[in-house]
Amino acid sequence: MRASTREAWLKSALVLPPLAWTLVFMFVPYAIMFTYSFYTRKYPTFVPDFQFGNYIALFQDVQYRQVFLRTLKIASLVSLFALLLSYPVAYCLVFKIRSLRLRMALYMAVIVPLWVSYLLRAYTWKTILGSQGVLNSFLVWAGILAQPTDLLLYNQFSMVITLVHIFIPFMFMPIFTSLEKIPRSLIEASKDLGVGRGWTFLKITLPLSLPGVMAGFTFTFCLSFGDFVAPFLVGGPDGFMIANIVQSQFGTALNWPLGSAISIAILAIVLTVISISDRFERSGRLDLG
Amino acid sequence: MKRIVRNVALAAASASLGMLAFSALAPAQAEGQLSLLVWEGYADPSFVKDFEAESSCKVQATYVGSNDDFAPKLAAGGGVYDLMSVSSDAAAVLVAAGFVEPVDVSKVPEYNNVYESFRTLPALNSDGQVWAVPFTWGANPFIYRTDKIATPPDTIAALWDPQYKGKIGMWDDKSMLYNTARMLGIADPFNMSDEELEKVKAKLIEQKPLVRKYWSTAGELENLFASNEMWISYTWGGLMLNDLKKQNVPVAEFTPKEGADGWNDNWMIAKGSPNIDCAYKYINFMMSPKGQCGVSTVTGYSATNPVAAKTCMTPEEFKAKHQDDISFVEKLHMWQAPPRIDVYTNTWNAVKAAP
Repeated sequence: MRASTREAWLKSALVLPPLAWTLVFMFVPYAIMFTYSFYTRKYPTFVPDFQFGNYIALFQDVQYRQVFLRTLKIASLVSLFALLLSYPVAYCLVFKIRSLRLRMALYMAVIVPLWVSYLLRAYTWKTILGSQGVLNSFLVWAGILAQPTDLLLYNQFSMVITLVHIFIPFMFMPIFTSLEKIPRSLIEASKDLGVGRGWTFLKITLPLSLPGVMAGFTFTFCLSFGDFVAPFLVGGPDGFMIANIVQSQFGTALNWPLGSAISIAILAIVLTVISISDRFERSGRLDLG
Repeated sequence: MKRIVRNVALAAASASLGMLAFSALAPAQAEGQLSLLVWEGYADPSFVKDFEAESSCKVQATYVGSNDDFAPKLAAGGGVYDLMSVSSDAAAVLVAAGFVEPVDVSKVPEYNNVYESFRTLPALNSDGQVWAVPFTWGANPFIYRTDKIATPPDTIAALWDPQYKGKIGMWDDKSMLYNTARMLGIADPFNMSDEELEKVKAKLIEQKPLVRKYWSTAGELENLFASNEMWISYTWGGLMLNDLKKQNVPVAEFTPKEGADGWNDNWMIAKGSPNIDCAYKYINFMMSPKGQCGVSTVTGYSATNPVAAKTCMTPEEFKAKHQDDISFVEKLHMWQAPPRIDVYTNTWNAVKAAP
């Protein structure tokens, strides 16, 4: 009896801190933000209110639609390119590299950039892509370009490159894990039954790795959707993203209610993406016993 | 087992006690620690050193990139900043929001030496109180790379010239609306009608394919010019020009025929500042010859206290900075707070949001 009470006590002691953390640092702030989204902007700041004007403005003013669509486009491109780059690498590492040590070394090589500060990595791209940057100097030196080009930096191209580089580990890790978990026996069985390499991949490996792909896509998409530093550092005049709008509403515009409404909209989009990918993942899950 | 539980509980308790102690210390302000929220150049080590030695107040500066940065930073919670350097057009909102303390001018002996046209600005005087001490002023010209642009430009329209495509810079600030309005011949850029604002917005969106970057700090603009990303831009004048010349970047400034933006910056005291003594000491230091010429040397801006400036500037410098002729200010287009500020902010955001 005493032992079990103690156990229950311990259990709740273990659950309580994370629960309190989530409550205090997630639910309460979100509730406050949600409340603010119904307030009214009134010079010089804003006043408590209950009205839907901020949400209506999101649909009426074309600037928010433009930026939402642009952010969707950038986040989708980033996730797509991160996927196209990560999958073959992860596949190679899991199925082609026999030495465990080499595999781990290469795995770390992909992950290690995570330890370098985000800002530093973004700045690096500035020095690579700039008008007098490494790439331009090389292209001019090699005679491919007569003049350095301005097309490499301060546009959506440089934003996508930078974000792919920054977020690629979040795509690579879940794909690698899901590929690694696939029992080799399934692939051998497929081969034993005379199925070719391509079909084995399409019928066995790919479907079984989909949960990893979905997880990676979700991470990468959500992270790049909410990014506001890349537009600031490597984006150009057409690089304004939705998080920059939130920033400017809480900053220069001093319109916290509108900023909150946009944040709620972002939250809704991100939650939609997560629940869709969750459903996808669940439906594709096989019981491998 | 019991001991483990007790230890965990103890650890948790001491951790939360630690947090309490930490939060008690958390307000950044310690006694004699002066926290400034200023434009770049207003807390330069070249003169802050002297101030710290004289006053036994320690200075810690945070920089703003726009006049629109003051209110949000103060709105995010008090008790962080003591003293701000606010341009006159942004002063009224801080007063209206109750973010600042009135200035007791009897504690600022140099106050009456300040040019009257600055001292009596309506934005700085309301409800029978003085809210700010003007300490510097200037014009915002444009600058260009002399090695890339042979004939000196003389109009704001040069920033719409397709031959500088991808090399044009604009400040990320709503004051870009005022400039564009002047270029379009709009009579009162601070009281534009909806149609006029639409015209300005369309003009700025038309410019977007030519723009390299909307910059927001002096450091950023200087990097863009030094690394050959930008050839022509709106600027904050002397500060950037001086820094670039120090880096041997070939640049020159030009004042467009449409006229240049003018502004003056003022010291304002944050509401509830616990370092009010240090704040007044800094204001007085900045109004003295050391501060007036200190800022002027670093930034190239003009002084508001001609009595002090006369003692520390050479006669040539005194003349070049228009200290003997305050009517120069009347030729500038002094920034004002647009009465419909939300519409202006929204218009500038719409420009940035456009494809």
